[in-house]
This record gives sequence, C-alpha cells and structure tokens, in this order.
Amino acid sequence: MKKIVVEGLKYRYPLTQDLALKGISFEIEQGEFVGIIGQNLSGKSTLCQALMGLVPHFYKGGYGGSVLVDGLNVERSEICELAQKVGLVFQNPFTQVSGSKMTVFEELAFGLENLGVARDQMKPRIESAMALLGISRFSQRNPFDLSGGQMQRMAIASVIAMEPEIIVLDEPTSQLDPQGSEEVFQAIQQLSKNGMTVIMVEHKIEKIARYSDRVMLLHQGAIVDFDTPERIFSRDDLADYGIEAPVFARVCRGLGIRNPASGLYPMTLDDAYDQVVNWHE
Amino acid sequence: MKALSLYQDKGTFIHRVDSRSKLLYILAAILIPAVLHGFTVGLVLMALSLFLLVVAKVIRKVIPLVGFSFLILISVVVIQGLFYPGNRHVWFALGGLRFYQEGLVFSAGICVRVLNILCAVSILVLTTRPSDLIESLVRLGLSPHLGYVLSSVLQIIPQMTSTMETITDAQRSRGMETEGSLLVRIKAFLPLIGPVVMNSLVNTRERSLALEVRAFSSRAKKTFLNPPPGGMVNQVLPIVLLLAMVAAVVWRVLQ
Amino acid sequence: MNKIEIRNLSFHYSASEPILSDISLNFDQRSTAIIGQNGAGKTTFVKLLKGLLKPVSGEVLINGLNTRDATVATLARHAGLVFQNPNDQIFKNRVLDEVMFGPLNIGQTPDQARASALVALDTVGLAGKVDDNPYDLSLSERKLISIASIVAMNTDIIIFDEPTIAQDHAGKERIKSIIRALVGQGKLVLTIIHDMDFVAETFERTLVFAEGRVLLDGATREVYGQAEVLCQSHLEPPHVTQLASRVGLGTTVLTVDEFVAAKRRGEGEDRGAG
Repeated sequence: MKKIVVEGLKYRYPLTQDLALKGISFEIEQGEFVGIIGQNLSGKSTLCQALMGLVPHFYKGGYGGSVLVDGLNVERSEICELAQKVGLVFQNPFTQVSGSKMTVFEELAFGLENLGVARDQMKPRIESAMALLGISRFSQRNPFDLSGGQMQRMAIASVIAMEPEIIVLDEPTSQLDPQGSEEVFQAIQQLSKNGMTVIMVEHKIEKIARYSDRVMLLHQGAIVDFDTPERIFSRDDLADYGIEAPVFARVCRGLGIRNPASGLYPMTLDDAYDQVVNWHE
Repeated sequence: MKALSLYQDKGTFIHRVDSRSKLLYILAAILIPAVLHGFTVGLVLMALSLFLLVVAKVIRKVIPLVGFSFLILISVVVIQGLFYPGNRHVWFALGGLRFYQEGLVFSAGICVRVLNILCAVSILVLTTRPSDLIESLVRLGLSPHLGYVLSSVLQIIPQMTSTMETITDAQRSRGMETEGSLLVRIKAFLPLIGPVVMNSLVNTRERSLALEVRAFSSRAKKTFLNPPPGGMVNQVLPIVLLLAMVAAVVWRVLQ
Repeated sequence: MNKIEIRNLSFHYSASEPILSDISLNFDQRSTAIIGQNGAGKTTFVKLLKGLLKPVSGEVLINGLNTRDATVATLARHAGLVFQNPNDQIFKNRVLDEVMFGPLNIGQTPDQARASALVALDTVGLAGKVDDNPYDLSLSERKLISIASIVAMNTDIIIFDEPTIAQDHAGKERIKSIIRALVGQGKLVLTIIHDMDFVAETFERTLVFAEGRVLLDGATREVYGQAEVLCQSHLEPPHVTQLASRVGLGTTVLTVDEFVAAKRRGEGEDRGAG
C-alpha cells in the first residue's frame, strides 16, 4: 500500500528567487525505512516539512505539485489533520520542549489536548509512547532536567502519542553525544520494527546504510537517485553530490572487493568483515 | 532549572483547592473591607489569610514579602502621620515632630488593606502550580494560545539566562572588556544585543514549528489531561465567597 | 615549552558535586582532541583554560600566564575559543567588521586587524564575502565566519567547541583543512568533539574525559586501541578501527587508507585461497 505519494513537488520560500524543491516525485510504501541524504541546502529539511504540511502552510511561498500522505492531500489539509498521520522530529531537542508543562507526562499530553482527545484515552496513549521510547522512568521529571538524548526521545514520544503511522526525523542526533545518539537510533529502530513508516535525514552515513530499506539522494532540490543503500553507496559519483560512502564500502572499494552476488559494495560491519576476510591480494 | 514561580509543593489541603476559589478569595479580600468600613473586618480577613498560610505550611515564605512591604508601609505611616490634610489632634510627639491621630488612623487603614491583599495573593501564588492556575483560566475562557504563552514564559525565561551567559562568555573570550568604568560596561552591552535577539528569534521559530507539529493551531475544542477540580469544597467554596461579597454589599447599602 | 600547563586542577560549584578532580596535564604543540560523554567536564575544562572560570584549587598556566591573575581579555591574546553556535557570537552587519572585532579588542591596530581579518577569511574560504551581511549567509557560512573571527586574533592556541556539529561532508573537509593549516603554522589546536572518525583523521593526541577525570591520554592511535576503556565512557572507536580489529590487523587503524595499505601488506586473518 502506498503510504506517501509525491508528484512533481516544487517549492519556493517567500522572498527568494530559487526553488528549494525542483519537481520531486517518489512513492513510499507502508513500513518502509527511508534514509534521505544530501549535502547541506540540498532540500532535505524542506522535503521533510513538505511531508507534514509545514511547507506550504507555515511558510506560505510558492507551491506546486502534490503530496499525498495516507490519502490526504497536504496542500488541501490542515496541519492539525496531518499531525495525526505524520509526525516530525527536529534536530534541536531543546526547542521541541513546549515549555508550558512541568512534567514529562504532561508534556506528552500537550498534543493530545490540542487535538481534543478524550481524557480516558490520553493516559494509555502516553504510557505506551513512553514505554516504546524507554522514558517511562522520567514520567514525573521536569522536561528541562533531561539529558539531550532523553529530551529527544521525549520529543519523539510526544509525536508518537498522537498516533501517526509515519514519522519523519530531520537529523535527530545531530546535536547529541554518542550515547544520546545511540539511544535515539535504537528507539527509531524499534519504531520501525513495530511497523511504523520511518523517514530519516542523517549525515551519519553508516547508520543510514545500516537501517534504511531505501536511500534517497538529494542534490540542489532534485532527486538524483532513490534505491537500496547498496546501489546508492556503490555509485562512483557520490563525491559530485557532496556525499561520502560508508566506511565499510570505502574500504572494500579500496581493496576492489565487491559482494559476488550483487556486484555491489558491502554496507555494514558484518558484511564488510565477511568480504574482507576472504580477500587475498 | 527552576521555573519562574514562587510555588511551594507542600501537599496540604489548601494546595488542593481550585484556583477559581483562590481567585475569588482575593477578590473578596479586596472588596469586603473596601465596602464595609472599619478596621475590624480588614483585621479579621488578614488573620484568616495568615491562618490559611500557616495551614498550607508556606507562612515562612510570606515573611520576606511582608517584611519588604513593611518598609514602604512604615514610610506611609510616617508621612501621613505628619502631613495628612485632615490632621487635627496630636497623638504623640517625637523629637520636634508631631504625629496626628487622623493621619495615623488613615495610614493604618491603608496598611491593613495592603497586607490583606498581599496575604490573599500569597495564598494563590504560593500554593498553586502556575500551569494549574493557567489551566483554570483557560477553562474559564482564556484563549488557550495566550494560556500557552503565559505558562511557557515561566520556564523559558530561566533557560534563556543560560544562553545569555554563553553569549557573554563568547564575547568576553574575544577580548571584550566587561569590567571598568560605566562607559566600558555600557559598551559591553552592544555586542550582546544582536546575539540575544538572534538566538531568541531562531529559538522561537524552531519552537513554533515544533508546536505546529503538535497541532497547536487546531481549532478543535481543547481537552485537559487533568480532571476538573472536583469535590465538595471546590463546588461550595466559590458560592460561599460570592455570597459573602454580595452580603457585604447588601449590608452596606442597607446602612 | 609547554603552551598549557595544568597542575592539580579541581573545580566545582558546590563541594558535594565535583566537576573536575585533580587534573594535571601538559599541552605542547600536538593537535589534541578531548572526547567524552556530555557531563564529563569537558566544557568546564575549556572555560577554565580561557579564564572564564577560575580554579577552585590548582593552577592553569597559559603560555606561562596564571589564569587566576590574568583577565579574560589578556588571556584572549594567547588562546582563542570558537564557540559551538555562531549565533552566540555574531553581531555586526558586515563580515569584515565581525572578524575584526576580536583583533581590535586584543590590541591590534585597525590596519593590522583588517589585514588579519582578510587573511583569516581567506583561510576559511570566505574571501569573496567580505562585505556581506552575516545574517544573510547560511548557518555553515556563519560557522566559518566565527572560526575566522578567532583565527584573525592570531593566538598561539585555538580551541574549538564541537566544530563538526551539523556539518555535511564538504563542511567537515573544509574544517579539517583549516585545522591542518593552523597546525602547520605552529599553533596548538584543541577541540571538544564527539565525531570519532573526524578525530582519527585530524588529531595527533586524544584525551578521554570521564566524570571529571582524565581516563586516557596519549597518541590518538593508542587511545583508540583501548576499546574496553572507551566502551566504559559510552564511546566507540571509529568504524574503520572496529573493522580492522575484527579482521585482526596488527596495528590500530585510523583511516580507510591505512586499512587498505595494511591489508595489501598481507596483515590480518586470511581465510581466502592460498
């Protein structure tokens, strides 16, 4: 079932001349884990926000083409409707804390209160979101007293509590330390295992290679390629798009090793190990 | 980091009373002594407020507040005692200064009224979580957007102070002097304004996006995680307070 | 001569919660990375180096100057600190003026400051944007401006706070080459950083901070070889190092090139035909 269908999406921010997105088309299936890569200013964040309706409703600006999310046309729907289909998590854990609630539990209720969810449904939703993200033990803590990784997991939980089936994450671990990053990636992996459709923008290329079913390479507002990690990272022209392949692929490229079955470079530590160990000059 | 609030969590009965009742209490504390002349009413209400503050175990926090206003009130007493236009009878003399009865009585009335209001407001401020207070106001009809702004400000402003420290550190570490003459210190302000404003704008923009994602602009009727304050007390108290105020007005009218 | 000497440094805001405990270190001209979990005391350490905080006990000597006795402005002539968020620093409406601010404060004449600023902007690759308004530029470009503002101060020591956060591949390469240029000029470059791969490719020496103490101190290669100790600090060696140790290569490998070279030399497990 096609969860997201994007056709000819074009977008220009107000007061600018150039298009941030230059006619993007793709489809994403339910339950897929899609990684989005590309150099800075290639349109990744704009695309994420276009899946949620912030583009165009928050920014206004020039919009063309269509985005269908779980059957809803983004241009013709309101952000609050879309918020129940798609969740969006940003880079900065701190600015995603609403500031108006004194405990993590109440913070997770914020979105539900805005949507007018009935009180007896709020508690189970919040508890299951906290359990999924491993933050149940912080339930009564003040949101600002959490570490970066914990705060980011709380941001993901507040979005999950609204029960979307798709979650978009825009560089979620960019501002976290290694432990915080790891906590967040594990949580995202768990969400994906539970059947959520995940779309993640990341610069940590090894993580993208490991978790994604497919990877979308963006450059200057257009899609260069949208394929499996093996195919994308085995390309010879990644440097033209400001991307470096995962370390494991680069090692194997340096040794001239390819996976004999697919003719492509290995993407993960285990695959690379298998190939390298058998290699002999 | 602590929010900007005076709330003390002591878990007493007073803490559990709804904000609505506490707001009405403040209204009563202002209205009833104003409507009914004489000291007695004011003193009785003040004693009642102090008693409630003791029950709520927050009386210690009121002392600095009262102490501070004492300084101002003493000056009112002195000035009125000496210069009140209606002064006729000298009550006592101190040094060469004569303190008149009318002025002292008048200023005593002001003192009682001020302390009364202070104590009643303290009950609200010291025993109510700011987010609960604002939630009550929203239930009573305050715009939820405005309610959000009020409650988030209390937590976000203290967070901003740490950003201010970082900005000051960044400019000092580029050699900007912060100590010295007044002129030096004023000049030191200028490199701080740009970054503070810029940071606030960037953070506000990011936070607005995050709020939108949490359906902040939804026009659906808002619901509340917390159940509305129930119980006999919260039903009865507002009525009792309203009746007390009405009774005071009626009494006055009949005089 | 040691550019920085630290003797028995301890710091805390309240005695029951020590932040740094009895640290003694010397820094010569080797580029050094400071890694460790958030809360380990790295940022506090750097503030103590800059004189923004004064030691509770112990001494910090920057080019011989004791930070207890010198003002922050004086110390700024010896050590510069590039803060993590360029928005915390930029306040002028012209790039050149922004970059000249630091040099002017520490005593360069306007002509000297202008010359330093232009050289610094050239080093970071923004020579063409001298007259632009910093607020019109992208976040990456503003990051480069904040780096140039410190480079222009021509200090002996430059400290970076998380230079690679939110940088894409090109951005990281640019910062790598800026750091190499500064090291080539004989400056001591220190950084607080989380990116293990970047450290492996760029920094000679690595310090691991944990709970206010120095857990490991040595050449990056040696430090990265200690996987168990790193693990305790919730740190992982870079991916290429992990692969190399799994494959059984003799030395600790820091870069892809090293790995390829080692394997070509025939090191490591060999389950292939032979």
